[in-house]
Amino acid sequence: MKQAVILAAGKGQRLRPFTVTKPKAMLSIAGKPIVHYVVEALAENGIRDIVLVVGYRREQIFDYMGAGEQFGVDITYITQEKQLGTAHALAQARGITEDEFLVLPGDKLIEAETIARFVAAKPEAMLVKRVDNPTRYGVVTVDDGMVKDVVEKPEEAKSNVVNTGIYVFSKEIFAFIEPELDIPVALNNMLARGYPVNAMETKDTWLDVVYPWDILSLNDAVLSRIPANLGGTIETGASLKGAISIGKGTVVRSGSYIVGPVVIGANCDVGPNVCIMPATSIGNNVVLSPFTEVRNSIIGDDVNVGPSCIIQDSVIDKGCVMKGHFTACSGEANVRVNGEHHVVNVGAMLGEGCSLGDSVVAQSGVIVGNYSQVQSLKLIDGRLPDKSLVF
Amino acid sequence: MCGIVGYIGNKDSQTVLLSSLGRLEYRGYDSCGIAVASSSLKVYKDAVRVEALAKAAPRLGGTAGIGHTRWATHGKPSQVNAHPHCDCRGNIAVVHNGIISNFRSLRQQLISEGHDLVSETDTEVIPHLIEKYYDGDLEKAVEAALQHIEGSYAIIVLMSDTAELVVAKKDSPLIIGIGDRENFIASDVPAILDYTNRVIYLEDGDIGVVTSGEVKVKNGGVEVERKAHKVLWNVEDAQKAGYEHFMLKEIHEQPKVIRDTLGEYTQATESGTGLERIRDAGIESMLILACGTSYHAALVGKYIVEELLRIPVRAEIASEFNYYGQILAKTMAIVITQSGETADVLRAMKRLKGGECKVLAISNVVGSSASRIADQTIYLRAGPEISVAATKTFIAQLMVLYWLVMSYSKVDASRLASMLMELRQMPGKVQQVLNNEDKILECAKYLAKYENVFFIGRGINFPIALEGALKLKEISYIHAEGYAAGELKHGPFSLLGSDTLVIAIVALDNTREAMLANIKEVKSRGSPVIALASEGDEVIGELADLVIFVPQVDTIFSPVVNVVALQLLAYYTAKERGCPVDFPRNLAKSVTVE
Repeated sequence: MKQAVILAAGKGQRLRPFTVTKPKAMLSIAGKPIVHYVVEALAENGIRDIVLVVGYRREQIFDYMGAGEQFGVDITYITQEKQLGTAHALAQARGITEDEFLVLPGDKLIEAETIARFVAAKPEAMLVKRVDNPTRYGVVTVDDGMVKDVVEKPEEAKSNVVNTGIYVFSKEIFAFIEPELDIPVALNNMLARGYPVNAMETKDTWLDVVYPWDILSLNDAVLSRIPANLGGTIETGASLKGAISIGKGTVVRSGSYIVGPVVIGANCDVGPNVCIMPATSIGNNVVLSPFTEVRNSIIGDDVNVGPSCIIQDSVIDKGCVMKGHFTACSGEANVRVNGEHHVVNVGAMLGEGCSLGDSVVAQSGVIVGNYSQVQSLKLIDGRLPDKSLVF
Repeated sequence: MCGIVGYIGNKDSQTVLLSSLGRLEYRGYDSCGIAVASSSLKVYKDAVRVEALAKAAPRLGGTAGIGHTRWATHGKPSQVNAHPHCDCRGNIAVVHNGIISNFRSLRQQLISEGHDLVSETDTEVIPHLIEKYYDGDLEKAVEAALQHIEGSYAIIVLMSDTAELVVAKKDSPLIIGIGDRENFIASDVPAILDYTNRVIYLEDGDIGVVTSGEVKVKNGGVEVERKAHKVLWNVEDAQKAGYEHFMLKEIHEQPKVIRDTLGEYTQATESGTGLERIRDAGIESMLILACGTSYHAALVGKYIVEELLRIPVRAEIASEFNYYGQILAKTMAIVITQSGETADVLRAMKRLKGGECKVLAISNVVGSSASRIADQTIYLRAGPEISVAATKTFIAQLMVLYWLVMSYSKVDASRLASMLMELRQMPGKVQQVLNNEDKILECAKYLAKYENVFFIGRGINFPIALEGALKLKEISYIHAEGYAAGELKHGPFSLLGSDTLVIAIVALDNTREAMLANIKEVKSRGSPVIALASEGDEVIGELADLVIFVPQVDTIFSPVVNVVALQLLAYYTAKERGCPVDFPRNLAKSVTVE
């Protein structure tokens, strides 16, 4: 297997506000976008001919991945103008695929070993996995290693085996996907016509992001494997424990206390006296001012966190500015996403470029839209749309 | 300006030369050609672009050769004027970048001596002069020929039956790429990055002999050592990576360029290195010199310095300053040149140095001519810029100017703290402008129908009006003029009407009321208006026909967000009109002739 088609055109509707300005594949986990991990896993298996099907906010992927040189792969970009479905996305790559190729989603994390085992499968093949909550996915009936049918998001699941969206295909597949919009539908048609589809089950981790708080659990899972790597300047008097990665040009000032796993990007200014607790990812060019505590959170590039802030179980996207004394404590929250209610333990979810005055308090589970502005001494709660003004 | 390449080694030279030339098209592309030596010399050239030449050319064979991509200065683009040029017998071939100022008298003389010159170019005298002096040693013949030549040159000479290339450089760029049992020669680094990243930068007056295994350089008759540098750019930087045009790719790189540039300098500030020599206490005024887009950065620099340091600043066009400007005492001179090879800027630098002025250069090219003349150089962290229309290097130039000024202790501390915080937000603010592409595209479709456009602005955004107009005219071929908004009524008003579009830059500062009054004046004379305004400035929507909103920022940083919006506007307008965005007609990336 030499070639992979990565489907990275999708929007990730339920992940707003984080997917308003970027495709789901570009969500940052432990300092790198998801698609970076996917490409890395492929390169580790010697799969270097990569076709990236892009669409929604594709420039973000171009800007990050470039021609692939940096990742040791060769990337060809194909644009899916309208995001009509996975089969439609794959159909765009017709004409440049080899006889056999791997297809995988660009917005789900996969491990190199999983790919290593799966590429031995004969086309057409689907990678399946047992999960606890199968109704979110395509539920697969498997008999003696063969796929019998796929039912998308059923009310009641016949089994807990689901489709991972990872396939080994031959050129034959194009005859079935052309008229369809989604790959599972095309596969069902194939099965109905008597074509065999192999199923290979994996027990490896396969982590998906569906809701904003899933970003945190994925971040936690990835961080648990990061190697320590200290770039930048660590001033005397700073304490670092556990696996910590710090980028070039970052300064960790005296009195700061960091417990890994923690990833901090390049050119950040941390401290003095900042406390960063486990499972935290901090982007590039971030300022964490004195007496701030961050734990189990993701902070994006160019964020400015003023003095004495508390940020727990939170996602703060790129370019947010918090003047000081911002409090986002974690707690049980009832959060509404696309009409569904979820009870989760989270802090605050802030979209890109939000600006918060002094002493703003976030109720657990608040989701703030991109480029919102909040005046000093305000309590924010519930779901605020993009460009909200809280005065 | 032109691009030249040479190869000697064990590969098929034709393939190497053509791929290298393709990467030099930003320097010119009206005609091109190659010459390859085996037992005889074979030349193939035409008034076409490199890709077309590559398709049409027969296989020439041979593992040593030279190539050229041309931007006409003497003689129109044609097959006969394309390089390489040869001597009478077709044994010696030369590619040349530069201008030979005394070529007319040399040509007369050579013709009277019986030489057969066929083209209208200045270059052709070189192979004939070499032929005249050749008596078995090519290097000596080149040396003798160059004695007679006045002007600027970077040349590569190839002779049939010899296993060497002879190179020479004066006032035009030339580099040698060191490979494994092969060597590469080119005007610029991207040409050879596919093959090697070890590069020798030649100096003025150098004459070198390059074989597959060795590079020998002499200067003034004495052998000199020229060390190889490792170049940190990679080939990927020189590719489009998904984008339709280099210009759009480079526009989108700007958030990263800002982050990289600032990261680099905050680190330097943190460790207290790098600025001592620039921060000269005795300076009473500043002189900023540049050409083209860099001149607009210089004009923004004038506003920044005067606002924050309260010292007078002259921003001058280098080609004008060369003939008239005075050099004052206690003046610090800053020259801004993307390529570091702009002829007018280099000439101005030499004059400033003669006047005992300290000269600081801001350039994007490490080891460029400007950096070698300057007392100190600050490099942009923009990476190679391929598109002829400068975008990311302009932003990087602005970032350097902000950082430079903010590093002076004269800046008010509270202002400094808030500016530093805001500067860190700039990548995100610029990204926000990029994310607004749909609206800018809508405006571009509207704008594409006009043939005459005025860009107006005031204060620190007046230079951005100039830059917006420059971007639009250079790539979309629409006649555009940048004007200080208050000057419009002193003449240009007579050009207003439904056929003339006005693009108004409205910043949220003390110029806003005056700008709103200007928009009303323009509208009442029948001209449609596209306004560029800060988010939240809703009044504009009632005055202008179309509005592009950019994020609110401190006025001093407003050029950054405004110029990005205008770059995109120019790009989409040019695309709408079907123009070749990356390679506009009659233009070359850097202007190495005066």
